[in-house]
Amino acid sequence: MLKTVFLVLLSLVIAIGGGAASVWLMLEEAPPIGAVRAGPWTAYPSMGTREADPYSRARFAREGGIPLGRSEGIVFTAMRDSAGQSLSRSCTYRIEGPMPVARLWTLYAAAPGGALLPPLHRRQTALHSWRILRTPDNGFAITVSPHPAPGNWLALTGTGELRLVLTLFDTPATNGAEAQGLSLPEITRTGCDA
Amino acid sequence: MLRILHAVLLGLVGAAIVHIVILVLVPRYSTEDVWTRLSAVARPFETVRLERAVLGADVPEPANPFIEAAVCPFDLGDGTLHVRGSGAVPFWSMSIYDRNGLNVFSISDRAMAGKDLDLVVLTPEQMLRMRRAVPAAFRDSVFIEVDSAEGLLLFRAFVPDETWRGVAETFLEGIRCAPGQAD
Repeated sequence: MLKTVFLVLLSLVIAIGGGAASVWLMLEEAPPIGAVRAGPWTAYPSMGTREADPYSRARFAREGGIPLGRSEGIVFTAMRDSAGQSLSRSCTYRIEGPMPVARLWTLYAAAPGGALLPPLHRRQTALHSWRILRTPDNGFAITVSPHPAPGNWLALTGTGELRLVLTLFDTPATNGAEAQGLSLPEITRTGCDA
Repeated sequence: MLRILHAVLLGLVGAAIVHIVILVLVPRYSTEDVWTRLSAVARPFETVRLERAVLGADVPEPANPFIEAAVCPFDLGDGTLHVRGSGAVPFWSMSIYDRNGLNVFSISDRAMAGKDLDLVVLTPEQMLRMRRAVPAAFRDSVFIEVDSAEGLLLFRAFVPDETWRGVAETFLEGIRCAPGQAD
């Protein structure tokens, strides 16, 4: 009798505890599914849509948010530079390379939580395609640094980890086939404050 | 020994079932999705600009510093939704989120026939009826069919710099969401 009760309890504990724990692990710890990668940049185009898989959907429902629709644009985030090292707010980076066709794009520096870094006096920690100085061949280079730099300077403030968020608005890159083979600018570390 | 193994196996099968059930129920019972958070601050057919300073910290705000957003919840139960707006923002786009907070439709200003914003949101049944006789007021409108009767429209306007902020705010606050044609 006691043995049967023990066995039933064992089954129930494994079922409920194991089921709940495995969902929690998948939603909190496992990396999200459905990523599109281009060099150091990552995007989740199906995030918050009906095409998303059940795990992404459950994760999205817990976090909320207002993801861009496909006709609006796509958001790429970089947490590491092109060499694979974590981005830091006390380092200087150079962003250079091809940019996909888009009506406009914006680039801003964010904290690990995704919030915009506070401005440096009146200088926003953000840039967009209208504010970019271009070379004669229509290319550009951006210096991401806590110190002023000539040309296109994306100011950094504070210390700690850094995320760079690149948003392309009204771009053909949002449809699945295009998004896979996309080439985006490289992020190269050029130096750090000791 | 064999009975313990049996119990463990049964537990594992149960764990798989519990896993799937929780996964499916999480979106349904979430209180964090856009719909739940925004329907608390905006009534149907009312345009509200998304500003944490005014609406409270619970409201999702675009993280992008160059984007201002406004939202307008709708209910197609009694008729269509007619959205109008005008202004000279350099870029705007719009998304429709359903009751689960999922993005079901999006459009940018390139899709408009003229310079002004003119949309009609309706259900497939309302679209069928509309096709028979399009009212003169909807002649230049872009028709958007959605399969959920309730949802919200979220408009984003591009603000290239501070001098444009006033223009963008006027554009967003001037968006009129009105019940169109009654059924």
